[in-house]
Amino acid sequence: MSFVSRKSKNKTKVGTTSVSGQAQRLAQFGPPLLLEGEDAAACDEFLARIRAAVDPVDIIDDMFIADVVSLEWEVLRWRRLKLNLIRTRGLKALESFLAKKLDCDLYYDLYSEHFAADLTKILQDNLPQDEADPAQTLACRCAQAEADAVDKVNEILRSIRRNMGFEGYALDMNQILHRAQAHKAEELVQEYVRGEPDAVTLVHELLSGAGVSMDALVADELQNRDYLDCIERIDRLTTIAENRRNASLREIDRRRVVLGQALRRGVQEIEDAEFKVIQTTPSKRKDAA
Amino acid sequence: MTSKSKIKANRANARASTGPRTVQGRARAARNALRHTLSLPVCSNPALSEEVETLAREIAGPDANAETQDLARQVAEAQIDLRRVRYARHKLLSDALADPWQEVLRSLLRKNAPNPPVLMALNPTPQGPHKFATILSQQAKQLLAMDRYERRALTKRSRTNSP
Repeated sequence: MSFVSRKSKNKTKVGTTSVSGQAQRLAQFGPPLLLEGEDAAACDEFLARIRAAVDPVDIIDDMFIADVVSLEWEVLRWRRLKLNLIRTRGLKALESFLAKKLDCDLYYDLYSEHFAADLTKILQDNLPQDEADPAQTLACRCAQAEADAVDKVNEILRSIRRNMGFEGYALDMNQILHRAQAHKAEELVQEYVRGEPDAVTLVHELLSGAGVSMDALVADELQNRDYLDCIERIDRLTTIAENRRNASLREIDRRRVVLGQALRRGVQEIEDAEFKVIQTTPSKRKDAA
Repeated sequence: MTSKSKIKANRANARASTGPRTVQGRARAARNALRHTLSLPVCSNPALSEEVETLAREIAGPDANAETQDLARQVAEAQIDLRRVRYARHKLLSDALADPWQEVLRSLLRKNAPNPPVLMALNPTPQGPHKFATILSQQAKQLLAMDRYERRALTKRSRTNSP
């Protein structure tokens, strides 16, 4: 998870005056509490923009600003975590959906290369060194479903399983095919995320063919109790941070009202002292008239 | 009315069932309050106490009267307490993010699991947001406790800070 500062065109102008005094004051509230992968520069920029917008008059204002920044950062952290969690779970669900869908002759061409590569590796790892080279040829022929090659590979796999015992359980043609499908599904998801047109079209085709959508896959995932608990926990943390941030904002508002009233009183007192009430004296011209 | 013999027996029984008995148990119980030290008042720590005084002076200003100074000290104390709680929570999360399996292993060992490394091998390490979500669920109790301390400090600060 990472936070990257986005350069906005409509930024609040950041004041540069008395930076050392401000820094000294802010140092009393400690450095920003960032977690692994979070962008310290973005957090500093955020703090500077808030300070410029609020224009603190004393250390109490600074205290609430530090609070607002830290809590808003936390809100962003939890929201991003929730979003990433839902997104990765959704993509994982898509991956298993695709792996299941690929288990069909129609899409064999899509993962035949992965199958050949996996098979080659298995044969090379388990056959004597002098037979390693024909392993690739044999795997490619087997991937093209040449009957004699398939038989030979099956025979080799059987003998490997016999020698390996329990550990060799995965060395079965079907298992290797499933792994190749899973591998291809993973690759397709990555291409889909990158927005590669072929992958996007294929994924949409497969989804609409099965009458499901990405949203439906994500919703299916939500039926998992642990996952739902996790989302609820993150929502709770977000709400707590939001409420505390809003309370700090209200404190700033309240202080501004008090400050405003005090300033008004002060201005009034100064004006009262400066200007005396002029006594109205009867005009001579009027008297003359 | 309870008879004298019954009271005597109750007292004897109570003495026999109070607190941990083993040396290790007693040592562990003795450290309960010091686990994250958040239950201790800020002023019990000399370094924090000094920070409270500095912040209080800054809040009260140079010509403050005794009452203002006292209020400023209360605000400063709540603020430093708040910072202490937030640091503790941050440390808890960042330590777990740096090494999440350490805690999993510890919890498995606590539960006397037969073979923790094998169990860990069967459950692949969560990555990215799953890692963070797993930590949140593992540390839920601790985080809840810290949230209570944070709420307490915030209430104290806002009560003192009100006009």
